[in-house]
Amino acid sequence: MTEFINTQWPLIGIALSAGLILLAQQWRSTLIGLLFNYIFVAAFLAQPQFGSADIDVVGISISTTILVKLIAGLSAVLILAVTALTFSRDYNADALDEFSLAELRRAARLAQRKQLVAPLRFADFVVPMWALILAAIASFILPRLYPIGSEEVDFAWYWLTLTGIFTIVTANDLLKLGLGLLVCVSSIDLLYTAIASTVEVFPLAMLGLTTIVLSLSVSYLSGLMYGRLKTLELNELYKR
Amino acid sequence: MLYLLIIFFPFAMAAGLYLLRKQEMTAISGGMLAVVVQLALVMQLPVDTPVRILGLTMTTDPLGRMVMITILGVALFSFAVAFFIAHGEHFVPVSLLILGFTNTTVLLLQEPFVATLLMVSSGLLAILAIVDLPSGSTLLVERSPLITALHYLVVVLVAGFAMYMAYVLLTIYWPTEQSGQGSPAHLIMALLIAGFGMRLAIFPFHSWLVEVAEFAEPMVTVLILTALNSTSLLFLITTFQFFPVIVSENEHGMRMLMYLGLITAILAALFGLATPHLRRTPSYLVVANSGLMLFGVASTSSTGLAGAIFELFNQMVAVIIIFVSIALLERPDGRPVTTIRRDLLWRWPLAGTGLIGGLFLLLGMPPFASFTSKLLLYDAAARTGTSFAILIGIGSLLMLAAIARLLYERLLGAAEELPTEEMPILLATQEIERFSDRTLLREPIGLAVVLFALLGISCVIGLYPQLLLTTIDDIIRGLTFVRTAS
Repeated sequence: MTEFINTQWPLIGIALSAGLILLAQQWRSTLIGLLFNYIFVAAFLAQPQFGSADIDVVGISISTTILVKLIAGLSAVLILAVTALTFSRDYNADALDEFSLAELRRAARLAQRKQLVAPLRFADFVVPMWALILAAIASFILPRLYPIGSEEVDFAWYWLTLTGIFTIVTANDLLKLGLGLLVCVSSIDLLYTAIASTVEVFPLAMLGLTTIVLSLSVSYLSGLMYGRLKTLELNELYKR
Repeated sequence: MLYLLIIFFPFAMAAGLYLLRKQEMTAISGGMLAVVVQLALVMQLPVDTPVRILGLTMTTDPLGRMVMITILGVALFSFAVAFFIAHGEHFVPVSLLILGFTNTTVLLLQEPFVATLLMVSSGLLAILAIVDLPSGSTLLVERSPLITALHYLVVVLVAGFAMYMAYVLLTIYWPTEQSGQGSPAHLIMALLIAGFGMRLAIFPFHSWLVEVAEFAEPMVTVLILTALNSTSLLFLITTFQFFPVIVSENEHGMRMLMYLGLITAILAALFGLATPHLRRTPSYLVVANSGLMLFGVASTSSTGLAGAIFELFNQMVAVIIIFVSIALLERPDGRPVTTIRRDLLWRWPLAGTGLIGGLFLLLGMPPFASFTSKLLLYDAAARTGTSFAILIGIGSLLMLAAIARLLYERLLGAAEELPTEEMPILLATQEIERFSDRTLLREPIGLAVVLFALLGISCVIGLYPQLLLTTIDDIIRGLTFVRTAS
């Protein structure tokens, strides 16, 4: 067991961090989960079988590919963290007409009332918990039905894909939905890097760019939604 | 150098025009100039001459070049229309970015992984255009565009994911090693159907297109339907070309794809018939048309493919005519916003005629060019099987019925010119308290001329289809999967 942990700690880290993203309801927890997910994915791909280190950064030997992935991942987390901290798109109140201003005030009142009466409930975790169990079962079965890489690679990318998809399905706010999409992109990234015979510059750059553009899109939509409804909850968006 | 210019020039121009976005005229003129330069660059592209840049193979075939030129032409027209029609503050820079990504995708179709990621990125950019507000707007972003953008975000990502996985499986797929195991061909086919189905808005993944058409600005809809969807169809054809194993080992899957295309056509036409809405019905008709094109490609017959490729160009022209006409028809005409307008042809005769022409072009009425492409598709259906011929016939009839109902309910109703009683001027009435006369804005003649010019060009190609068919036939002769199937 100790040997398994010593050798497979990046895989365990990927499983736990993705699970945290699926289960947690607060944006602070989910963003921390995403941060650790990128770190563990980088650690997983830094293993010798996926390539050797070619540069030294502050005394640590690291592969350029991994460094690029880390930078892209950290940028995505940073973008979403700044969004979550500031949230609001800066509407210029002077430029809005009376109806828009009244609507903004009404949304702010509703959001404030909702925050006061909505404590954390156990029922909120039931569906994500079952989704997590389903993802775990599928991640053990699918690599046997459709093996693509080694056992570890298959488990890692199937796990990331499934937790990402289930996060999208069970998300109740926009930010979490975005995190689910980012986890899906992360699984593609992991699979490409793990199975490609040689990692080309352009695809690598495109994967990084996709991650950053996706986080920017989620951030922009979150800003717009918060500016409009003073909340990121999706059920408020669908209310007529 | 030419390839790099085609890729990076629109990005550089987009960055520059983003800074000038508040000055609408300058931004639009700059955008038009950028598109003209891009057109000139694409015209100079050598065909079938692969170049290795940044470890990737860039090349273009005659079909790719034709698609690029058509998309750029549509973009040029969209920018010209933006002079007259309301659009978002970031419309020009975002459009240029999307065009940059689209051109890069077409150049890199030989690299399916990269092309998939590029398509995801261009889709993500389209989201910014969907929620864009006009410069200096006093309104908040509505819920509906936000919901539309959110749905589109998820669809783009999930489609990209499915396509990416299909290509990963295709790359490692080696038929001889699969003996004794279940072939992954079905899984690959399922992933491709899901991925391309979402991008092309094939049933049951079509709802995003209807939402975009209903809640985004008309020019944004045009950009998404032409630049992004056309590239997706081109990508599908290229996928079959580079991985003929999908076609050769998936006869059942290809039949399913053909049925899916025709079922999409029938259901979308039915939805369009059920909801006579100025924006929704044409968008359902576009979905139906996409279904017909998918059928043509999946038939892997030379006539079916010729019909699908020909229809791709017709649809691009039809989409721009239809949505520009809709934008003109939706202009305020003095009646309350809640009033259901049933006499739009009499209110806005030029725009109304443009919409009718665009819808007939989409349907494939003679003498438009789409008549030839539809005939080719009908021929392919008849050769493939009686059931396909019946289904395509039902689909076309339903499309005709949907158009007829839309015209009857929204355009051809009696002119609402109710006689109004002259209000007596009461004592102490001031000028400001009197109702102002309802005045109609004039229809932009220049825009109408361009709309009719497009319809005219389509008529000319319809009368002399060999102008385009010869090139399309040459392209099809180079497609190996067509030979494989026949």
